[in-house]
Parts: sequence; C-alpha cells; structure tokens
Amino acid sequence: MAAAAAAGPRAAGGDGGGSSPASSSLSMERIESLTELADLEAAYGRLCAEEKAVQGELDALLEQQSTIESKMVAFQRMGPNLQLIEEDAQQLAGMITFTCNLAENVSSKVRQLDLAKNRLYQAIQRADDILDLKFCMDGVQTALRNEDYEQAAAHIHRYLSLDKSVIELSRQGKEGGIIDANLKLLQEAEQRLKTIVTEKFDTAMKQGDLPQVERFFKIFPLLGLHEEGLSKFSEYLCKQVASKAEENLLLVMGTDMSDRRAAVIFADTLTLLFEGIARVVETHQPIVETYYGPGRLYTLIKHLQVECDRQVEKVVDNFIKERDYHRQFQQVQNSMMRSSSTEKIEPRELDPILTEVTLMNARSELYLRFIKRRITSDFEVGDSMASEEVKQEHQKYLDKLLNNCLLSRTMQELIGYYITMEEYFMRETVNKAVAMDSYEKGQLTSSMVDDVFYIVKKCIGRALSSSSIDCLCAMINHSTTVLESNFREVLYNKLKQGFPATTFQDFQRGVTSAVSIMHSSLQQGKFDTKGIESTDEAKQSFLVTLNNVEVCSENIMTLKKTLESDCTKLLSQGFGGEQAQAKIESCLSDMAAVSNKFRDLLQEGLNELNSTAIKPQVKPWINLFLSVSHNIEEEEFSDYEANDPWVQQFIINLEQQMTEFKAGLSPVIYDTLTGLMTSLIAIELEKVLLKSTFSRLGGLQFDKELRSLIAYLTTVTTWTIRDKFARLSQMATILNLERVTEILDYWGPNSGPLTWRLTPAEVRQVLALRMDFRSEDIKRLRL
Amino acid sequence: MSMEDYDFLFKIVLIGNAGVGKTCLVRRFTQGLFPPGQGATIGVDFMIKTVEINGEKVKLQIWDTAGQERFRSITQSYYRSANALILTYDITCEESFRCLPEWLREIEQYASNKVITVLVGNKIDLADKREVSQQRAAEFSQAQDMYYLETSAKESDNVEKLFLDLACRLISEARQNTLVNNVASPLPGEGKSISYLTCCNFN
Repeated sequence: MAAAAAAGPRAAGGDGGGSSPASSSLSMERIESLTELADLEAAYGRLCAEEKAVQGELDALLEQQSTIESKMVAFQRMGPNLQLIEEDAQQLAGMITFTCNLAENVSSKVRQLDLAKNRLYQAIQRADDILDLKFCMDGVQTALRNEDYEQAAAHIHRYLSLDKSVIELSRQGKEGGIIDANLKLLQEAEQRLKTIVTEKFDTAMKQGDLPQVERFFKIFPLLGLHEEGLSKFSEYLCKQVASKAEENLLLVMGTDMSDRRAAVIFADTLTLLFEGIARVVETHQPIVETYYGPGRLYTLIKHLQVECDRQVEKVVDNFIKERDYHRQFQQVQNSMMRSSSTEKIEPRELDPILTEVTLMNARSELYLRFIKRRITSDFEVGDSMASEEVKQEHQKYLDKLLNNCLLSRTMQELIGYYITMEEYFMRETVNKAVAMDSYEKGQLTSSMVDDVFYIVKKCIGRALSSSSIDCLCAMINHSTTVLESNFREVLYNKLKQGFPATTFQDFQRGVTSAVSIMHSSLQQGKFDTKGIESTDEAKQSFLVTLNNVEVCSENIMTLKKTLESDCTKLLSQGFGGEQAQAKIESCLSDMAAVSNKFRDLLQEGLNELNSTAIKPQVKPWINLFLSVSHNIEEEEFSDYEANDPWVQQFIINLEQQMTEFKAGLSPVIYDTLTGLMTSLIAIELEKVLLKSTFSRLGGLQFDKELRSLIAYLTTVTTWTIRDKFARLSQMATILNLERVTEILDYWGPNSGPLTWRLTPAEVRQVLALRMDFRSEDIKRLRL
Repeated sequence: MSMEDYDFLFKIVLIGNAGVGKTCLVRRFTQGLFPPGQGATIGVDFMIKTVEINGEKVKLQIWDTAGQERFRSITQSYYRSANALILTYDITCEESFRCLPEWLREIEQYASNKVITVLVGNKIDLADKREVSQQRAAEFSQAQDMYYLETSAKESDNVEKLFLDLACRLISEARQNTLVNNVASPLPGEGKSISYLTCCNFN
C-alpha cells in the first residue's frame, strides 16, 4: 500500500506534467480507469488534499479584498490633485523659459561690454605708446644733447620694445604725418647713438679705461646689439689677456735654469694664462648676466677662447722649441725601431719633460672643465623654458667649442707624443731593472720585482696626473703589455732553466755547500742571480724567481686596487666623459688578468719543482718501505718498536729536504709546495702498499707508521692532510681487521659517518694483501 | 672578475682613417642609430653589446678609436688585447683605401698574431660617388688574407652581419684555441676567461 501510494504521485506527475497547480493533478480519465480500491483510495486522498489547498488559497485572496478596495478609494481621491500639479508644472516651465531668455540677453550685453573694455584698454595702450613714442623722441634728443647715453639708450630701448604694428597703425591715423616725422627722428637718433656708443667704447678700450668700457658695454644690449657688445667687450678682455700672457712668456724665457720651478716653467705659464682667463670670466660674468641676460656667457667665452688658443700656441711652440720636444720624440721612435743599445736615448733624460707635459695637460683639463661648468650652468638658466632641441643645440655648441679649440687639439697632440715616450721610458727602465737585478741574502725576492713595480706605478701615476682618461687607459694598457709579455717572459725564462735535479747523495752535499755559499755571500753582502754557475745558485735563482712570480701576482692586484680608488677620485671631480668609468674598468680588468697569468706561472713552477726536486727523492725513500717486511710475528713487531725500520728516517729525510725550501720560499709558496708534496707522498705510498704483504701485526705496524707520518705532515702544512690520506687510512683500517667478514661492520649500512673512498674491488685488493686471509672468504664477501 | 652572465667575451677594435664611419658603424650596431653630423671621435669610445649566437651569450666590447693622427698612440695601446680588428675604409674615398697598407703595418707591429682582421668598405649608400671598386678591395683583402665586407651604416646594410659573423668566427677560434691549450697544458684556475693569447706555456 505504501509502495502504491509512493508510485501514484510519480505516475500522476508524469501524466499531468506542466499542468497548473489550480487544476487537479489527476485527470478524469485516469480516475475513471482506476479499478483497484487501494488506487481509488489514494486518488481520493490526494484530491481531498488538493481541495484543501485550493480552499486555503481562495481564503487568502478573499482576505486581501478589503485592502485593495481601500487603496482604490485612495487613488480616486488623488485624481483632482494630479490635475493641479499638471497646471503648476506648466506654469513653472513658462517661468524658466522666460528667465533663460533674460539671462542670455544679459550675458550677451556683458560680452559686448567686455569687448568694449578691451578695445578701450588697447586704445589707451596705443595712446600711451604714441605718447611714449613722443616722449622717447623728445627724451632721446635731450639725453643726447646732455651726453646722457644711458638715458638715451633707455629711450631707444623703450622704442624698440614697442609693438611695431601699433606704430604702423598710428601712422595711418590723422596725425600720421607728425608721427612719421617723429619716427624718422627717433630712428636717426638710434643710429646716431649706436655710432656714438661704438666710438666711445673703442676710445675707452684704446685708453684701457675699464669704467668707461663697462659703461658702454652695458648700453649695447639696450640698443639690441647683444652680439656686437659681447664681441667688442671680449676684444677688450682678450687684449688684456694677451698683454698679460706676453709679459709672462717674456719672464719665462728669462728664467734661470737653476730656478726651483724651471723644470715645469711652461706648465706654470699655462697655469697663469688659464687662471687669468678664469679670473676674467669670474669678474665679468655678473655684468654679462645682469645686462645681457643668461645664456650669453657662451658667446663671451667663445671669443675669449680664440685669444686663449693664440696664447697657448705661443707657449706650446716655445715649449717644443726650448725642450726639444719633437726631437726627443723622434729619438724615442728611432730607439724603438733600432735594437742597438748604443744609440738609444737614455730614459732618465725623458723624466722631467714627461712630468711637465702631464702637468700641462692637467692644467688644460682643469681649465676646460671650468669653462664647461660655467657655460653649462649659464645655458641651464637661460634654457629653463626652452625646448629640448634648443637645449641639445646649445650642448652641441659647447661640445664643439671644447673639442675643436686649438687648446684641446694641441694638448691631444702633446699627449700623443707623451704616451709613446712614456711607454719607451717604462719599457727601457724595466729592462734596466731586470738587467741590474740583484739578490740580497735574507730577502725572499730579488730587486727587480720591487723596481719594476715602482717604475710601472710611477708611469701610470704620471699618466693619471695628466687628468686625461684616455692617456691613463693607454698607459694601463702598455703596463699590462710590459708586465705580461716582457716581464713575465723574463721570469718564465728563468723558471725554464729549471731546478737542478739532485740525487739523494747530491742533496746531502748540497746542504754543506749551501752553508759555504752562505758564508761567502755574507762576506760579499749579496750575490748575483744572473750568471748561474753552480747548482746551488741555480737552485737559489729558481726559488727566488718563484717568490718573484708570487709577489708580481700580488702586486698587480694591489696596483689595480690603488688605481681604482685613484680613478674614483679623479672621476668624482668631474673629469672624463660618460664612458670614462667603463673604459678604466675594462683596462684594469685586463691588468688583473695578468695577475692570474703569474699565478699560473707560479703553479707551473711549483709543479716543476715538485717533479724535479721532490719526487726523485721522496720516491726512493718511500720505496724503502718495500724492504721492510710487514708480514711479521710478535717478535719482529716488538723489535720494530724498539728500532723503527722506516717511518722515522723517512720523516727526518723529509724534514731535511723541506728545510731548504722553507728558508728560500715565501710562506704561501712553501705551503703550496708542501701541499703538492703530501699529495705525492699519499699517491706513492699507496703504490708501495699495494705491492707489500701483511700479517695482522704487520697491519698494526703500518697503522702506526701512517699515524706518525700524518702527525708529522700535519705540523708542517696548513693544508688538510686527513683528506689526502683518507684512502690510506681506510686501507690501514682494512689491514687491521681480525677477520675478513669484519669489514661488513664498517661497510654499507654500517659505515656510519665514514665515507668510503675505496671501491669494493679495491677493498678486496687490500684484503688480499693480508697473508692470513683466505681468498675464498674475500671472494665470498658481498660488498 | 665580475660574475656577469655571458659565455664569451671578445674585444673588438675599430680602426681606419678619420671620417670613414667607424663611430656610425658602432652606433648603428649597438644602438640602432645613425646620428647625422657625428663629430670626430676623441681618443677612444667604448660600447658593449651582448648578442646571442646559437644559444650562447656573447659579450662584445667594442672600442671605437679616433682616426686622427694625434690619437694614434692612444689607439695603438688597444691593439694587443684585441681579439678582432675591424679595419674600415670609405668606398667613396680613394685616400682611405690607399692608407690600408699603413694600417696593416700597425697591426703587424702592435696586435697579437692571433688577431682576426676584417676589412670593411663603408658608405655603400653613396654608390654614385664610389671611388674604390669592390673587385679591387676583394683582391686586396684576399692578398692580405682578410675577411672582407661592404657596409652602409646609414642604410644599416651588412652592419649586423659584420658583427655577428665576426662573433661566430671568434667563438670557433676560441674553441679551437682552448682545445689546443688544454692539450698542451691544463692550466688550473684559468676558469672561464678566454685568454688564448697566451704565447708561452710551461712544458
């Protein structure tokens, strides 16, 4: 029954799908077709429920009737009100339209008024202008009569600043004739004033009357003659600069050669010239700014620069003549071509002139930087409202002035010669330092390293003092070449001669002869490292060269750092262009790369020393291990304990051998060398170990020997010995095992913190060295 | 040594008479510009451009030298460390071509013997003013065993090709040399720096 009831509605839903909730969900046909009582009952039940629901809905609707009716009444009451509102709205619209029209009317009148007002103003302005014009005309005449040129110029200025169209319009008026006449008079006055001012200025200039010069200089801009005023004024200033410069040059030519500044007298003269011009700029910049406005300094300096160039040319010509600059350069070039030393120019002779040239250039750079700054800031003020194009145009003018002035070109030429001469100076002096190389007992390095770096530093320092970045970079490049090619070659050739190979016996003799050499060298004070005659000297030379190479590598890095900070200083003062920093960095990094080349050379030298001096001796000492049986019993073991068969002597031999190197090599190199030696010992010892046989006690003996060796080596180097001997230590562990299978306590998952450096095959190989281990057991091991 | 991100670093130096267009070639390549009315270079200019060739970052340090005589001693100091030299002349200027042997003597004297030299005839956009025929230049470059190319910095003709081809050749050269070097003596601590200019090795 329950199932039927549940199925019923589902079937009914399917039939009457989409039927409204008001109509019954059961159709008549369906009810008529029902035959089962249960179905009928169910249908009846549902119909009853539906009826109930419909009844409920109807009740709800009926309840709303009263509310709806009351609302309808309210609506009907509102009817007349709505009519009232409509009438009001129409009235309002009418009023708004009226007001709008009124407003428009008023505002158009206001506009007309405004127009009238403007025209009135213009009329007043024009009247004023015309009055002004008349006033100017009268004023100019009076002022000119009274020789009050400032006043006259002020009137002309007023006239010039009048709107030309106004004047044109005035002429068309009724009184055009009068105005025309006035204008004509005014123009005549303008021309007259221009002539007078120019004449007066010229007279004042001739008489050197500064107040009068300045007086008329101020008048030019009022007459619209900015360019002319500046050019005339510059002419006056140039004359002053020229006479002062001539005076100075005469003084120079008369200077006594013993004078303290005699060696840099031309640089001093240039300094005076530049300072003079700078002072002129400094003094007259305010007057130019005030009366000519900003952005005019460029014109003034451009004129001054012509005179500056003329004077620089004179000074430099004299410099070239007096100091024989070109001939010296020629000689340097010839000396570089020719290799014969007889005709070579002595580098020391070049020293003073090189210093003077760099000083001259430094002064020029300082001066150029000064005018650059002044002009730039003046343009900046003048161009604050200008377009980007105008600014760029001005920048171009400035660059052109700075780059193309004769001063710049002359200095570039002098520096060009300078670089060639400085390079020659450096190369030759370095060669000399190499030729005069000497070694003093007790020193690790020989004299040439210090000398060479002193020279290189001096030459780069001098180039730096020129304040020219390109000059500095060129000398850094040349220094890199000299160090990398020339000097490295010298050291390389010395190392190539090699460390004389000595046998064990030779070595013992070597110690005694080294003692005697020491005696003789103490008497002589020093001994020569060039002519290598005896083996001991050859050895000494080799070790000193290794030290030299290391110091070179260090010195280059130090030099680079020093130069970096020097350059930072120079750049922070505003010298050099935008790429200056990048250029210097690149050149310096090339120099730093040479330091690595010296490091490589050192490494190769040490390898050479290791393979020719250490290996041939250490190897036989280690081979002695083979003659000591490690297949031993209790008795031999205790005998070994009393009389050490191998390791103690080995340590003594090593110690003796290394004493020589420890004394002769710098700590860093010595340490690297002992590092190489310990690696060598580890490798060689492993080889002999694998050729030996062991008993249980023999293994113990080896373990003791290895521990002593490691303990000794730990004291002589700062390198980590344990790592190098890791394989040997592990081999000793294996040789010390009780049984073959005991290895499993240390292997694989049981290895704990221990990292095996031996392969399973190697473990088996070492296990096989134990005579008492059976090979079947070893084979059976699972590693 | 800075830890910059590149696989190769090469120094390229442009040389040749004044006014043949060295600066314009460099500007065109590095900035894509052709600045008209370029003033004469003072001393040396320095530009960097990193290009990618077959997935490898190649940093090109380009030194643009002044052609004027008075800067010669400055420019000469850059020859030795150069991996490549671009010797430039102006195809509309016979004089600039006639000076080439002089430039070659300078290269001979100052540059490393491993340096790669490229001959470049610039300004082919001014074809109607040509004074140096392509054939003449080609013959000259063949006789001197130089790579030869004609360019126009103005029209951007062959400029990219010039630098990229050069970079390719430098890479293959560097590979060969490091290979030779490694066989001769494995230098510890050489790292990445390409110093195949090393002339002497310890044997």
